[in-house]
Amino acid sequence: MDDITRKKWDRAAPTFDLWSSSGQEKRWNPFKRILFSNMGNQKVLFVALGTGLDVACFPDDRSITAIDISQKMLDKAKVRTDAYTGDLRVLQADVHDMPFDESQFDQVFTSCTFCSVPDPIGGLRALRRVLKPGGELFMFEHTGSRFFPFKIMMDLMTVVSRRFGPEMNRPTVDNVVKAGYRLKKVTPVYLDVVKTIHAVSTK
Amino acid sequence: METRPYFVFGDLFSNLATGAFVGGLCTVIITLNWEVSIAMFVGMAIGMVASLPAGILFGSLFGAIEVFLPVMTTGMVAGMVVGMRLSMDVIAFVDAVWVGGACGIGIVIVTYLANVWIQRDAQ
Repeated sequence: MDDITRKKWDRAAPTFDLWSSSGQEKRWNPFKRILFSNMGNQKVLFVALGTGLDVACFPDDRSITAIDISQKMLDKAKVRTDAYTGDLRVLQADVHDMPFDESQFDQVFTSCTFCSVPDPIGGLRALRRVLKPGGELFMFEHTGSRFFPFKIMMDLMTVVSRRFGPEMNRPTVDNVVKAGYRLKKVTPVYLDVVKTIHAVSTK
Repeated sequence: METRPYFVFGDLFSNLATGAFVGGLCTVIITLNWEVSIAMFVGMAIGMVASLPAGILFGSLFGAIEVFLPVMTTGMVAGMVVGMRLSMDVIAFVDAVWVGGACGIGIVIVTYLANVWIQRDAQ
């Protein structure tokens, strides 16, 4: 397990909800609900559960395995995961080194995850390994921008933000393709920065 | 495009307040007879620095990226515009605040229009 990343998110856990649960989550929840409504009745993997803020957007009665690298985040998530109506199995795991056999899951969901995974292409390949052939990847992510002045701002912000949390300038859509997925749909939520991505594993 | 009143109001208020604050702050630092280009760059720097805490404050209430990017742009633009005007003319504090606030409203309108354009382009 990547101890540097784990410790970073362990440190962020006590104040994570303070920064994320108010404006940000209220703003994004309608879009996340639409994305997560794609969760089927098959086996679903949710990557980077955090403090469980996304659980409120999950459709009822699904069978979901959720992982996060930080046990302190998962400890804070417990109230929310306990309240979920379906089968929600939670475990501490690093996306680069998941304790799952190959081709176990039908769908993988992420939510503001690949701004923080240290090796994004490697992480996406690891998700492809546990996805069944033709399995679906659904992502709600913020990425870098191609527009001035936002591109420069996000590059500058990343210099600071990567020390305590996410990187603001990742080319996540390109990374999905590089990791061996076929893009089905990219839907912008805010400018070309916040977006939903639907892709299919090509293995 | 964002249509929920809480967030539309939040976007307008965040940028209006940040622009007004930066405009007012520039009057304290930049004075008449500064070289225009220096006044512009100093104003821009003041705006970018001042917009960081504003982005954190308003971002926690109204959304992270949707607040941070326009607020930082507002700080930058308001600082540049007010800084340049201060170097060329005597401007009252209240007028500088109004100009800064107007820059903020302008940035909100531009980002909303850009958002509509990007969403249409993606369809």
